[in-house]
Amino acid sequence: MNGWLLGALALVIGLVPCGVVCSRGNPMDRLVGLEMAGTVNTLILLTLAEGYHQAIFFDLAIVLALLTFAGGLVFARFLERWL
Amino acid sequence: MTATVAHGVAYVVLGVGVAVTLMSCLGVLVMPNVFDRLHYTAPASTVGAFAIVLAIVLREGLSAAGVKSLLVFVLLLITNPVLSHATARAARIRQFGHWVALRAERVEEWEADT
Repeated sequence: MNGWLLGALALVIGLVPCGVVCSRGNPMDRLVGLEMAGTVNTLILLTLAEGYHQAIFFDLAIVLALLTFAGGLVFARFLERWL
Repeated sequence: MTATVAHGVAYVVLGVGVAVTLMSCLGVLVMPNVFDRLHYTAPASTVGAFAIVLAIVLREGLSAAGVKSLLVFVLLLITNPVLSHATARAARIRQFGHWVALRAERVEEWEADT
């Protein structure tokens, strides 16, 4: 257990408010909670990759950043009128 | 000696980044409506991500890991404003039917509804 893994653990605690926002309110509020959780998850993967000293794990953070972007755009487009 | 100092500074910068990210998570939780919540997604992907990536680069240098984490930072920096804009636009379309500013926007009534 080094400092990076402790940082990742602290960031996981930050997912709790995002989950609360995702699970109540109107759909747009929930979408904002989802986007915030995507950003926090990317940072968690960065700190975990550094904590485990595996350069290949950083690719996961890159992929998650791109997929959060694409997914958020799709959700925003469909929540405009159709959902 | 220099490496030890760099590692210590990296831990401090990492702590700053984690603290900023946690604060902005709390901000998303406590704000009352969509547009106020959206403001709090920005610090996590600019200041928080920059601090964490800076800590990794201080530790690793510009190796494969450092360059990849810099790439993640650039991606977050580019995609987060686009995503915020798209979300705010979608929220306005749900609220008013289109996203252009109206002369008599009844924002107070809408806030009372939600």
